[in-house]
Amino acid sequence: MKHISRRQFLGYSMKAGATTLFTGILAPSATSFFGYGGVAAAATKKVSPFTFAVLTDAHLYDIKDHKFDKFLEKAVADVNSLQPLPDLVLYAGDIGQSGKESELSKGKKILDKLTMPYKVIPGEHDYYLDLGKAWRGFFGDDHWSFDHKGVHFIGMNSILVPDFWTMAGLTPKERMGRMEELECHRCGLWGVGEKQLEWLAADVKKLGTDTPVIIMTHSPLWSYYPRWNFQTYDAPEINSILSKFEKVIAIHGHVHQVVYNQFGNTTSAGLLSTSWPWPYPPVDLPYPEYKMNRVDPGDFEDGLGSHKVAISSDFSGEVDYRAFSHLLPENVKRGLKM
Amino acid sequence: MNILTKQTYMRLSCVTAVTVTVLTIMLMTDAAAKSPRSDQQIAQERQALLEAVAKGDGLWHDGKLGTNGLACGNCHPDGSATNPHTWPKYQSNLGKVGTLREMINWCITVPMQGKPLAYDSTEMVAMETYATFAHRGVAIDPGKDEQHGAMPVAGGPGYPTH
Repeated sequence: MKHISRRQFLGYSMKAGATTLFTGILAPSATSFFGYGGVAAAATKKVSPFTFAVLTDAHLYDIKDHKFDKFLEKAVADVNSLQPLPDLVLYAGDIGQSGKESELSKGKKILDKLTMPYKVIPGEHDYYLDLGKAWRGFFGDDHWSFDHKGVHFIGMNSILVPDFWTMAGLTPKERMGRMEELECHRCGLWGVGEKQLEWLAADVKKLGTDTPVIIMTHSPLWSYYPRWNFQTYDAPEINSILSKFEKVIAIHGHVHQVVYNQFGNTTSAGLLSTSWPWPYPPVDLPYPEYKMNRVDPGDFEDGLGSHKVAISSDFSGEVDYRAFSHLLPENVKRGLKM
Repeated sequence: MNILTKQTYMRLSCVTAVTVTVLTIMLMTDAAAKSPRSDQQIAQERQALLEAVAKGDGLWHDGKLGTNGLACGNCHPDGSATNPHTWPKYQSNLGKVGTLREMINWCITVPMQGKPLAYDSTEMVAMETYATFAHRGVAIDPGKDEQHGAMPVAGGPGYPTH
């Protein structure tokens, strides 16, 4: 199915919602196992259970038959083979490596093979060659929201850094080159910025506090390892705007690894890439039990994969890491409870 | 043991005296010729090391060692997961006990599809220097089964120092 605009997508969601009227049944809360069952039980009963898939960080190069092309194709084929089919697919950024139109075009062609609708947000690798021009041409707005089966989905562009290139006299290619380094020494911390914060506040203003919310950003909404921009500098403001909701599920790309956290009303999960895995940074993980195994550099598929997310009627969620190779410990294989 | 004759005793004493004198002169001469390195020399040597780190940092990230766009930094930001303190060790991809330099060449030739560096080239030494410098202070433990996070070799505004 072709990439769809926000309006088309909303139309689709409403149609799907109308045909699957659902009265809530309080299923045994999987989340209560993790000690916040009260939150889950109090959450809305308006959710009609469904699944969606998430892909991220393909980092496609402008090179013919590059190995990363095959990995994205494999992830797309995997999502298309899921039974039941996910209702929709989210893509958490970094389709390309160097922000080239050719990379984004190649990525869109592969993603268009998905048999369900999909929504995309940008990563820094998509963005800093032309400050998002080509990306917007392919995928539209870099922040959006829609409702699906009782859940309010939000996507935001979290990779906006203050201008470091004008004063330094960098060309667009040099700017992109700097941003391509995870440990870019001079790029600074990124976030969503004032405009998107205003947009978010307005977007959720009329929603009831019992609305289930799923938010996707490229980078985590908690300070994990700022050195590698495993952070979003204005995440505290985002979390504050979303704090009125009973429960928020946050998913993010960028980290190329299994990582989990809980803060306030939010549970957060980091995702596997379809390009290469990042090692864990030299800081303590908040939930070290949710960690992928050390990868084998000789197995190019190790540490890569796709994801299926199941949402239950009580808005408990489960993120299934569908790893291409067997790098997951047993507790992670069982899925992260959100 | 033979009893020392007077003549032998005198000869020995003479040899001992000469030896002590010669050694004393050698020590004094040596001390005069080899003074401690000056602060300036130490600073220059440190600068040379940091230049090698910087050269390695550049090679690590520019993607020019491979042919498929990948750079070492794609998988090893800040030199992470190179674990310089654990080499030499048995490495399954090498299929033998090997060195960090051999693993660097394995990465260049296999995942990055590039040409191997000469082991004694300034490029290879710079790469090794960069990765090792990022693990300064970590205890050497050849063969240790450990994935070690790295320390930044340079911090920028907004970044924490480690």
